Amino acid sequence: MSPARSTVFMMAAVVGTSVLLTAVTWSASVAAQSEPSRRWWSPGDGRTLPATLDYANSDGSLGILNTAGAIETKGHPFFEPIGTNGRACVTCHQPTDGMSLSAATARERWRETGGKDPLFAAIDGKNCPNLPQDDPASHSLLINRGLIRVFLPWPPQKSDGARIEPEFTIEVVRDPTGCNTSPQYGLTSSTPTVSVYRRPRMAANLKYVTAAAFGVSPFIVKNGQPAARDPETGALVSMNMMADAREPTLRTQAVSAAATHLQVAGQLNASQIDRIVAFESQIYAAQRVHRSAGSLVEPGGPPALGPAALAAGSTGTLGNNTTRFVFPIGDSWKALPRTGDATADARNAFRESVARGHDVFFFRTFWIRDAMHINSVGLGNPAKRTCSTCHGMHMTGMDTVYGWMDTGTTNLPWAKEAPVSPWTTETAELPLFKLTCKATVAPHPFLGRVIYTQDPGRALISGKCNDIGAIVMQQFRGLAARAPYFSNGSAQTLRELVDFYDRRYNIQYTDREKEDLVNFLSTL
Amino acid sequence: MRNRLLVLAAFVAVSVPQLGSQAPKRINFVSCPIVQDTATVPCWLSEYEGEQYYLGIQTDISAEFDPPYLGHQALVEGIVSDEPRICGGIVLKPVVVSPMPELDQSCSVIRPAVPQFTVPFAPRPPGPSGGRLAFDPPPSATAGLKPPYGPRSFELFYDVDMLVMGRHSGLLTDIFNYAQKIPGARLKVSAFRGATKLSNGRVLTERPGISKARAEEIAELFEGAGIARSAIRLISRDDAEAADGIDDWRSRRVTVLVEP
Repeated sequence: MSPARSTVFMMAAVVGTSVLLTAVTWSASVAAQSEPSRRWWSPGDGRTLPATLDYANSDGSLGILNTAGAIETKGHPFFEPIGTNGRACVTCHQPTDGMSLSAATARERWRETGGKDPLFAAIDGKNCPNLPQDDPASHSLLINRGLIRVFLPWPPQKSDGARIEPEFTIEVVRDPTGCNTSPQYGLTSSTPTVSVYRRPRMAANLKYVTAAAFGVSPFIVKNGQPAARDPETGALVSMNMMADAREPTLRTQAVSAAATHLQVAGQLNASQIDRIVAFESQIYAAQRVHRSAGSLVEPGGPPALGPAALAAGSTGTLGNNTTRFVFPIGDSWKALPRTGDATADARNAFRESVARGHDVFFFRTFWIRDAMHINSVGLGNPAKRTCSTCHGMHMTGMDTVYGWMDTGTTNLPWAKEAPVSPWTTETAELPLFKLTCKATVAPHPFLGRVIYTQDPGRALISGKCNDIGAIVMQQFRGLAARAPYFSNGSAQTLRELVDFYDRRYNIQYTDREKEDLVNFLSTL
Repeated sequence: MRNRLLVLAAFVAVSVPQLGSQAPKRINFVSCPIVQDTATVPCWLSEYEGEQYYLGIQTDISAEFDPPYLGHQALVEGIVSDEPRICGGIVLKPVVVSPMPELDQSCSVIRPAVPQFTVPFAPRPPGPSGGRLAFDPPPSATAGLKPPYGPRSFELFYDVDMLVMGRHSGLLTDIFNYAQKIPGARLKVSAFRGATKLSNGRVLTERPGISKARAEEIAELFEGAGIARSAIRLISRDDAEAADGIDDWRSRRVTVLVEP
């Protein structure tokens, strides 16, 4: 397709952010994006990215808003294959998927290309680089869970390369990918490395992720350790990026990601970094239409919904209060009339469910227990609180700063594991590590001295026993576009996500509470 | 009535110097914390020699009271007040509660809310706040100071056998900011190994080497924040200070002297 025709094609899909979207126009616009080859943004496509864009997903459609207006992606370092493996940033940060990458998209890409797409590059698009490239089993974690291999030096290193003496030892208990025990890539290699597998995060709504406001301090309020600073300006940063907060700024993240994921030869130049960061800072993504709720951005509707609300929202704001709210949705959907029109009544019933789901998220108390970096920061263990205690950042549901916590998604006994018995054929997909806190330090206050984990999380960066399995909170936006959930992709659906927390904290949600919560999350 | 007698029995066991009738009634013990749920926020209690003591309530990070952990015993060091019982417990005020580092899964009691136990004050509910933290943050230790900036000493107090935690971040920031005001500032870090005389006469002493670990950690933290390691002098005393049962929690400390 020629660039000009492509532009016309894309423009047809543009939907104004403030326009009341009817079901008919929504269907037409998202249908235009439904053909797989158009949904996928290949590096070097040279398409125009319009100011607004909608992509259909199973719950409706996701809206993308580029506050800087339409841009030409030709020559843009976010979209061009600037590395040696054919990938671009957009490979794993697809507009279709809320600037992340869903497992469904990865599967579709494998089907379309026979695994030839640069997405499946050996470096980290494969369970381990030494596996057969053409075998889909070699890419099972990407295809099944949307996971990218993240390989980190062991022991941890400071930003200047100096060794950090870890407070724990690490052993590989289970290695289904073979990478952690590989003589070439594993812990016993000449460059000892730990491989963990994580979901790509949203490269959107990043003004929230990078905002350094409420809670920022020279010493981290969760553990007293020195907070990271911007290496260029010396300013304190939020430490809310990536699963382990290992990169302090979008600029350093771009450089690091280019070196690893894109295998750039040499370094990005200043102009490339500037353009990548500028683009990432102007993109917003959120669900804009819901198949059951209709438009999420109607005038007078919930003020938190849709990408334009994100673009306008205030950053660095604690939302776990009844003045700002995490996701301010107002009262307009709390009690809606029934007219006898079946379609309208069904829509209104769903909207009421969304409003109830918000209240479950915000007000339903339960005992938060044994969650490192939440129970350990002055609330006690257990603490009677709500979802919004941990997911408290206004508009995103992340933590405001220093967002790593152990909510149990990767640490045993709570992390999802395949059942092991003579009657099951399910096998474990993720590695399992045994970490033992050294006698010279206090044991982990909630997990003791020996901890089994699928991903040590922040501890692979800090070397701290208390950081084992602590993962930086992710945004709660665009969820319908980017399953599966959690850093290890262990919840394939929003219902599985809710069920996980129900088990983890013995919340005892009713079926209706679960349904309402899922409906609420699906509109974000 | 029986409870009252047990309280008196517990007081007898309190090992404090008798300073006359006005001497505060101190009690120091290690026991499991207990959660007493209420219609609002939970109370934290602990039992010792058949009596129940009220330690505090759950609020938020602005509170002076740091609730302990189930799954751990806790060292309680408090003064028996004459305030009305809260959640069925004799009020200790002030009280310092320090979780013991090793796990103890026998500490697992969450008592359900019952009508007779209510919290007379709840600066914030168990869920979202009304828009402000439960308490006003304490003023910075360096607020209002004007040059010239002379030598200034800061004290950090620790949980038993523990190093720096999140609640130290404010004071660490104060120290750091004060040092930044003084060109060429030097830090003298003096770390101590604490001991507490319990009400049963036993002395609970922190593990050997903790003072050195605390000193070195403080140096690492300030170095990590940008203070040259060569500007930091460390002193650690590993002979635990004599414990007398009076504010022994102060022995688990590090003193940082910032001087020009």
